[in-house]
Amino acid sequence: MGRVITVTSGKGGVGKTTTTANLGTALAMGGARVAVVDADIGLRNLDIVMGLENRIVFDLVDVIEGRARLKQALIKDKRFPDLCLLPAAQTRDKDAVSHDDMVALTNQLRAEFDYVLIDSPAGIESGFRNAIAGADEVLIVTTPEVSAVRDADRIIGLTEAFEKGHPRLVLNRVKTRMMKAGEMMSIEDVLQILAIDLVGVVPDDEMIVTSTNRGEVAVMDKSSRAGKAFVDIARRVRGEQVPFMALDEGGGVFDRLFGMFGRRPRGSER
Amino acid sequence: MGFLNGLFRKRERSSDLARERLLTVLVHDRVKLTPDVMEQMKAELSAVIAKYVPNVDPDTIEVTLARGDSIDHLKAEVPLRRNR
Ligand SMILES: Nc1ncnc2c1ncn2[C@@H]1O[C@H](COP(=O)(O)OP(=O)(O)O)[C@@H](O)[C@H]1O
Ligand SMILES: [Mg+2]
Repeated sequence: MGRVITVTSGKGGVGKTTTTANLGTALAMGGARVAVVDADIGLRNLDIVMGLENRIVFDLVDVIEGRARLKQALIKDKRFPDLCLLPAAQTRDKDAVSHDDMVALTNQLRAEFDYVLIDSPAGIESGFRNAIAGADEVLIVTTPEVSAVRDADRIIGLTEAFEKGHPRLVLNRVKTRMMKAGEMMSIEDVLQILAIDLVGVVPDDEMIVTSTNRGEVAVMDKSSRAGKAFVDIARRVRGEQVPFMALDEGGGVFDRLFGMFGRRPRGSER
Repeated sequence: MGFLNGLFRKRERSSDLARERLLTVLVHDRVKLTPDVMEQMKAELSAVIAKYVPNVDPDTIEVTLARGDSIDHLKAEVPLRRNR
């Protein structure tokens, strides 16, 4: 039985789709059978980020409404035989899918794949609730900015209220130079504020833009720093102990991170 | 001397400001007390207190959310008039 992992955020544009594409590819490169699911109904995105946009025949809503079987709708990534994409519908809206539909769909996928990654829409509405409906585990993506962190806090509370366990954090678009100058919140600051465990820190990296332009994900490029960070996240998701790399030769940013942060009990949400 | 310190102190790092502002706003977010709910609660509290404690001026009661090191507090300050 595979694991269903939802990648979500609260605020939009912080890197959920980038994280899903890279983490999914990295897990598949490591030999796992992986399905990535675009649950951002109406705003199809994961396909183009992964370079699979020309191969879509059926989508998630076609499967839910019985027009296509799951096998027909899943697109195999030719570069990685164990990687499949289930695209979002582009011309429907989030109301085309219910909580129970998503639970049924993820159960079906869980039987076929080792990892099922769900790319969630932003926000706290039904799209988000559907995206976590079948999740065994939730990853929260944020950047070290006040608005993104505030929204992440809200999402963490909701995730726990829906009994999806303790989510883990992907801190994306970190700019080491700004952090060192005290002009960007530090990793410690964000972890302490959110009282959450870290699963990875991803540097802000222009190569994300270049690789996305080509429809290739960063983990395919050995020289990409962000790609390296996503490979490390994949290893941690698999359960390996991977030290948090220093973002530059100056080092030291991550040295004190291990085991420092306890969890804060949260009030109930909803 | 305060103003001298102010003059020579370095400009506060923006990351420290971000952290402080976030911690404060999250205290409110987490208990889900919007400013108008706070006002409503304060009015109700004042009414209850006035019922039991005669030498209180309901307008002077202050209810605030305060961030603590390990736990946060909902504080009500109720000044008492010193009349016998
Ligand atoms: N680590 C990063 N470095 C540079 N750009 C990034 C990084 N992560 C994401 N981006 C860019 O930020 C934008 C939003 O990312 P995306 O993954 O689509 O966010 P979301 O799915 O949360 O809306 C995209 O243009 C993407 O290329
Ligand atoms: Mg997205």
